[in-house]
Amino acid sequence: MSTVHLPGPMEVRELLADLLGREVTLSTTSPFAPGPYNRATYGVYVDDALRVRALIALDMPLSAYGAAAIGLVPPAGALDAMEAGRLPDTLRENLSEVFNIAASTFNVAGAEHLRLHAVHHVGDQAPHDVEARALTLGRREDLRIDVAGYGGGRLSVILT
Amino acid sequence: MKILVADDSRVMRQIVIRTLRQAGFGGHDVVEAENGRIAMDAVLADAPDLVLSDWNMPEMNGIDCLVGLRAAGCAVPFGFVTSEGSDDMRARAAAAGALFLIAKPFTAETFAEALSAVLAPTG
Repeated sequence: MSTVHLPGPMEVRELLADLLGREVTLSTTSPFAPGPYNRATYGVYVDDALRVRALIALDMPLSAYGAAAIGLVPPAGALDAMEAGRLPDTLRENLSEVFNIAASTFNVAGAEHLRLHAVHHVGDQAPHDVEARALTLGRREDLRIDVAGYGGGRLSVILT
Repeated sequence: MKILVADDSRVMRQIVIRTLRQAGFGGHDVVEAENGRIAMDAVLADAPDLVLSDWNMPEMNGIDCLVGLRAAGCAVPFGFVTSEGSDDMRARAAAAGALFLIAKPFTAETFAEALSAVLAPTG
């Protein structure tokens, strides 16, 4: 089994800046531990044998800001979603595309090929195994991200 | 000129159209298709001047769309805009007659470079 590539902070920054078309700043932070009171959107990435090899987790604010920014939805739309505790369907669809394209950060030369298998949106109950995997320590990257013109939140890449 | 943008993601079609504008190709007519089947029917019916297509789509994927168009005798300039750009995919795209493969995420500069041989800038 080949090694899964753990994207570094600069790779994450470039991905988001290109995808959202905005300046993105980031810093490393302590591990994000999503749970019932600190909810997240999860992207689940699998290898060609359908084994779960990585997760990307975004907290509620970054889920809302990222989904709004990619679709040029005004920041107020993101704030409404945060207040509601869930993203409306349009923002969910936008965010799923962010997770889909984020697979490219894993797929560097020589690394295991991963693709997006599922997205579990903030506000829904994620499968327990996904929540448990998100708490895995070890090969992970925990970042504080700020999207210019929108706002900031947390993003974690976790290899499982 | 008319450009057909095929992608099952609505927001990605928006981004492709926005990037076309940013790359200086904003004055062309753009039509959208949400999968390869719809794209193939639209190309054969409306004869656009360029197709920009995702690879993975429901109903019919982008490479099957391209192969189907060539089999039908359609030589429309065709480029992929896709989230995966492996060497294998690039080779398959070129062998099927694609002009280029742009990997997502992309920039206006990437679009300008790939499309300048096919489309006239509109400013």
